[in-house]
Formats: sequence, structure tokens, C-alpha cells
Amino acid sequence: MRPVAVIAAGKTRFGAFPDRDLRSLAVEAGEKCLKNGHVSPSQVEAFYLGNFAGPSFTGQNHLAPYISTALGILDVPATRFEAACASSGSAFFHAFSAVASGLHDFVMVAGVEKMTSRPTARVTEILAGAGDCAGEIKAGSTFPSLFAMIARRHMYQFGTTREQLAAVAVKNHANGALNPDAHMRKVITMEQALNARPVAEPLGVYDCSLISDGAAAVILAPADRARDFTSKPVRILGVAQASDFVALDQKPDITMFPAVRRAAQKAYEMAGVGPRDIQFAEVHDCFTIAEIVALEDLGFIEKGCGGPYETSGATARTGEKPINASGGLKAKGHPVGATGVAQICDLFAQIRCEAGEMQLKRNALGLAQNLGGSGATCVVSILGNV
Amino acid sequence: MRREHFGERVTGTVYTETVVHLAPEAFAKDVPYQVVIVTLEDGTRITGRMVDDRVSIGDPVERVDVHDEVPFFQKAPSQLT
Repeated sequence: MRPVAVIAAGKTRFGAFPDRDLRSLAVEAGEKCLKNGHVSPSQVEAFYLGNFAGPSFTGQNHLAPYISTALGILDVPATRFEAACASSGSAFFHAFSAVASGLHDFVMVAGVEKMTSRPTARVTEILAGAGDCAGEIKAGSTFPSLFAMIARRHMYQFGTTREQLAAVAVKNHANGALNPDAHMRKVITMEQALNARPVAEPLGVYDCSLISDGAAAVILAPADRARDFTSKPVRILGVAQASDFVALDQKPDITMFPAVRRAAQKAYEMAGVGPRDIQFAEVHDCFTIAEIVALEDLGFIEKGCGGPYETSGATARTGEKPINASGGLKAKGHPVGATGVAQICDLFAQIRCEAGEMQLKRNALGLAQNLGGSGATCVVSILGNV
Repeated sequence: MRREHFGERVTGTVYTETVVHLAPEAFAKDVPYQVVIVTLEDGTRITGRMVDDRVSIGDPVERVDVHDEVPFFQKAPSQLT
């Protein structure tokens, strides 16, 4: 395998954009990305698209060439990857593999989702398609309810509290308020988070990520060609994808995600670093409990101690391990197919000191964790200074 | 696997639970309803719904109905199981 770098990134704002369609969002992100890296569409040798449910949300299928041709990227392989909320993380992993192996030199990885065109009940139904439709979903489970059941079990086994869950929401909203591209730039209080309307007990509205529209794109290149395009390429030091059962009731222990642990272990090995070396991370906080479990599965803190770690301040911007300085899925927004690549864009900006008000001081080595469904797919990426 | 339990008395223990307040259209008429993952006596787990009682982790439950392959449970008196 040869070393691979990210040489360009671009994304749209995340939010509810009634006047925008799926393709225009993806094209905006792709064009920003091409411009950012001074790359022409004719130089792109393959197009990898992450998208979860475009056909259900918008009726449009065959999305990868639908978008790549609109970007002027013609003739090349253009393929859509679907892995629930880890769709574009998975596209990123496979794009990395193609460049690392020498199959391609310059590839674009994009992610997009257009979700706000449907009423919330229908969105809930479409998202439920990432679960086991013959079992848990038929019984009335929704995605919030699957994570609510994880939260209940985590609380039962480890004494995790509602306040510790709420602390994740309060922190990520505070971070999101500094992000000009975030869906919700709104600081919330602990009281607001605790007293929010229930969605699936013990989770309330503020424990859940947002239903958003948005897109993100990056361009990968062999590290030895990266400086032809930018003076600040960012190395992909490690990246791994792992899988597990789709149905929650098939997992022996729902307080952890084996796919996260396996992907993290492989990514750490590839990068030659450990959890202590990671200076900051963007983790998949689709629900507040998911961030707490991620901290444990990534090895940032021992199993069961994620809740107290959150309330200690360690994960704040000013803490020892800033988590979701972008606002995370919670406040930045969660256009599901865009999320994995958007996390890479956030790491890219931090490492290049281009994160504006969100900029962290310790920014040389970052980790992104992108989770699909209730843990059936996970992609962990470690990026750093070249 | 799940079908072989049909017709027999099926009991188990609540492994985890949640009360759902926001549901897809198909279930909207039922909210709030409780979804449970139950550990059956043979150690396997299954996702089902409570009929109307509310239960917590560790509570004994028994299956009282099956609708469209979904098991419906109610609280079982622990001294009888």
C-alpha cells in the first residue's frame, strides 16, 4: 500500500433547504472541493458517493453518475455506497483502498442526503430501514428507540445518568454555535435538555441528532503527488471498516459496538498510534448515548465510564480530548449520507488550522468515527499532518 | 427460529426497554407504547411489544399474543415463573 492524502475538501451548509434538491447540494460540495484543491474535473479518475436513502427521500436512483456528470466528471467509474449512516464513511474507506493500491491516483468521495422533503413520521420510517425490518422494526422500533434501549441498558449496568446524556447535548450545541455551517447554532441549557419532549424514553428531543439536508466532498491522492495541488495535504494515517449484526437483539451486549472496536483497533494499528495519542475526534453522536459509547469503544476511556468523562469537561473544546468541536451530528446536523465525509472535512480543516472559531490548539492528529445503523457498520479514520 | 416458540408458553426477562412517543405512521395510533428486548429462557433474545403494562429491566414477562410475527408480552408474576 502506498501513502494517501486528502488534498481538498468542500461542503455545503447543513440545514433544512426547501428550495434545494439532492443533486444541487452534492454539486455545490463537489465544486467547492475541486476549487479548494485546484483540481479539474477531468483529473478525477473515479467518483465514490455515499448516500443512504436518496431513492426513498427523493425518488431518484442511479445517483453516482447523476451527480458526477453534473460536476463534469465524465467517463470514469461512479459508484454509490450504502451503509446506513456510515454510507460516505464506507465510500471513503473504499476510495482510500483504490488509491492506496495504485488502481487510481485522484478520486473524489462525496456524501449527500436530502431529508427534509418528507414529514418527520415518514423520515422516521425511512431511517428505520437501516434496522432489521422483519424483526425489531416490525415490532415498532424506531432509530431513537433502538438507541434509547442502549441507553437504558448502559444506565442499568454502569449507572449512567440522564444528566450525563444531557451533558453531551449541551456541549455539542455549544460547539455548534461556533460553526457557521451548522444546522442549529443554538446554545442550550442542561434544564432545556432534561425537560425536552420525550421521543423514546429516556431520550428526549435534545438527545437526538437533526434531520438535515447537506453534502460534503473530499479528493484523495497519493501522498507523493499531493503537493502538486496543495501546500497543506493531510495524511490518511489509518482507516478501517468493520461490520456486525443489523438487529440489536442479536448482539450479546448492546452497551458496546464490536464493529467500532474492530475498526478502531485496525485503524490504530495502521496509523501506529493509540487512543491516548489522538488529540481530537469527531464521533458519531446520532444520539447522546452514542457519543458516550463511542468514547468507550474507541478506548478514550474505560467501558462504563463515558458518562462521568463527559461531565468532567474532558470532552469540551478546552478539555484534554475535544470531541465534536464541529457541533457533531447533534448540532452541526446529520444528513445521513453526508456525515462520514463531513467528519473528514472537519478533521481536514482542524489539521490545516482553517477551522475558524472552532479551531483547536492541539490539532495534529484527529480521529473520525462514522457509525451505521445500531452498529452494523463502522468506519474509523485517523488523519494527521504529513 | 422464532416460530418454534409459537403455541407454547413463552416467558423471559426484560433485557432492555423503551417507551416510544414518536413513531412512524403505521404505529402512530399506538403511542406511547413500550418496546422490549426479552431474553427468553433458552438465552435467545427477541424484540417485542408490551400489551399495556409498563416493565423495567429484569422484570419477568410472558408472551400473550403474536401479531404479524411480533410477540406481545405482559408482566408475569415472578413467583409463578
